[in-house]
Amino acid sequence: MTLRSAAAHRNLLYLLSMKELRTRYKKSILGWAWSLLNPLTQMGIFTVIFLVIFKAVPQIGDPSGLKNFPLYFLCGMLPFNFFSISVGVSMGAVQGGASLIKKVQFPHEHLVFSVVVAQFVTLLIELVVLMVAMLFAGNNVLPWIPVLLLLLVLLAVFTTGVSLALAAANVFYHDVNYLWGILSQILFYATPVIWNPATVGVPWLERVANYNPTGSFIVAAHNLMYDLRIPGIGRWIYLIVFAFGTFLIGAWIFNKLSPSFAEEM
Amino acid sequence: MADLALEVDHLTKNFRLHREKTNSIKALIAGRGRTKFDEFTALNDVTFTVNEGEVFGVIGENGSGKSTLLKCMAGILQPNSGSVRVHKRMSALLELGAGFHPELSGRDNVFLNAAILGMSRRDIASRFDDIVDFSGLGDFVDAPVKTYSSGMYVRLAFAVAINVDPRLLIIDEILAVGDVSFQQRCLEKFVEFRNEGRTIVLVTHAMNTVKDMCDRAIWLTHGSVTGEGDPADLVEAYTEFMLGTRGLGADGSMRRGSGEIQITSVELFVGDGLQPVKRFRTGDSIRIRMTYRAEKPIPKPVVAFAIESLGGATVTAPCTRDVGLIPVELSGEGTIEVALDSVSFLPGTYDLHTSITDFNRSHIYDNLHLALRFDVMSGKPYESEGLVTIRPQWTIA
Repeated sequence: MTLRSAAAHRNLLYLLSMKELRTRYKKSILGWAWSLLNPLTQMGIFTVIFLVIFKAVPQIGDPSGLKNFPLYFLCGMLPFNFFSISVGVSMGAVQGGASLIKKVQFPHEHLVFSVVVAQFVTLLIELVVLMVAMLFAGNNVLPWIPVLLLLLVLLAVFTTGVSLALAAANVFYHDVNYLWGILSQILFYATPVIWNPATVGVPWLERVANYNPTGSFIVAAHNLMYDLRIPGIGRWIYLIVFAFGTFLIGAWIFNKLSPSFAEEM
Repeated sequence: MADLALEVDHLTKNFRLHREKTNSIKALIAGRGRTKFDEFTALNDVTFTVNEGEVFGVIGENGSGKSTLLKCMAGILQPNSGSVRVHKRMSALLELGAGFHPELSGRDNVFLNAAILGMSRRDIASRFDDIVDFSGLGDFVDAPVKTYSSGMYVRLAFAVAINVDPRLLIIDEILAVGDVSFQQRCLEKFVEFRNEGRTIVLVTHAMNTVKDMCDRAIWLTHGSVTGEGDPADLVEAYTEFMLGTRGLGADGSMRRGSGEIQITSVELFVGDGLQPVKRFRTGDSIRIRMTYRAEKPIPKPVVAFAIESLGGATVTAPCTRDVGLIPVELSGEGTIEVALDSVSFLPGTYDLHTSITDFNRSHIYDNLHLALRFDVMSGKPYESEGLVTIRPQWTIA
């Protein structure tokens, strides 16, 4: 079982995650700065589109009163990026582990776990930078950090589930990889990262934003970091069920398929 | 009764050979119900046990299923039926340095590789110095692995693998790596392992190693166990079998047929020469002389030969029956001579095969594949391409 083997191979998970982190920006001058430049560029682009081209009014934080589109954007973008990059990289990590999988017997799920752990560390670093910016903007997010961490853990559990399922399926049919490219785009726009469901005024769109898999997490992230309030109990139940349900299904699929990896690769 | 280290019980492994690998969903749906694949049995009902403290050899020709067996034992492949039971802490060395990351230092790779092989952090830390010692890397251990020579790479990988401290070690043909002194050290390590009562399963083509080191062995042919037991006997039987099917061996020729009559030698002469040659020029006149020996009179035999280019194209394949030359019988010893006037072969290397069959050409008495290989050098006429010349007479008006 995935969970038990994960505990028994803590050391392997730790070392694989460190490998992910250490080798990511080898041979680049800016190194870890790249991990910040990407979301900042996206933020710049969407800020221009949103404020200058469409002359839209930024979301007003309730009850924080914050009115700042770039910060609103980053609150959603950073967690979403964590999710979508983790899933994409996981597929590559399992496929790229072919030489290892064919020669050594080891728990394959660690290839996925280590990616999620490494991406999670990246997310935390990015969020620290965002927190500092929030404080400068007068939004005191510090009291909400413990609850935010809880949300991030749930997001990581959900992300691991999706990563396990797709990485395993991708070994058998590479279509999964391409399908993911499209799917993650749909998810991005269905998720309130650049828009605000409350101001659109279209009920079905509001429901899509609030209850689609990633949207439900991002709305909660906005609540905690931008609005400075704790999401309702209903949302928490929804998120917990969603995260662990996805994880169990993903782990089941991965366990079902991973014994045949060596033969299929 | 010694403790069992490993039990392989009625192990069968099939592979699907996809004619065209369908790795896209569209192909899967489109080809549904008529997905074509051949099933290939790599291992067929293999059963054996390895006792603790034994050195156990697995021999067999290429494609006999040795590697598949190893991967099943190592838990990398799942058997279709039957089972593998491993009773001791196992380390399988199928490839040295699998999973080394070129950008990381030797030190980091030691930790990572050992973790992949199932070691805890504390175990690795306590053995780290031994590993570096054995590898002989010294200060290089902190340099990225991509800067290592292939010898250093293999030495480090082997040092890690051997320090996993297995009670059961499975090795695939890796004694053949590294320089002589490193090989010597590996051999010493194996002897040390054996003397400590550890179990070793060894897959190798080195028959001397099997004879010298193994206590017991099995011999696989096409996925089935052909023999099991004393390594010396098995190696002898195996060697005999391999040479038996491969004919005369030394010159690469291969003989088939029932053998009542055999071509014992094939020689080539140029012009009226008396010395056999292996090369001549386009346009030379040559003779092919075959010597035969018959154990009993063979009625109405058909003698044939074929000449193939190196690429495998049959250039010509004449036989005595085609020209109505039908001897009543051949017996004892004698020669068959073929004269070729002004040969048309163009420069290149050709192989000559001979055969003697019955009149219907259905029963093969003797078929000597690769009886002779000869070279044709440029002569007259000369053409730069093709296998034979048809001696064209060009006219351009």
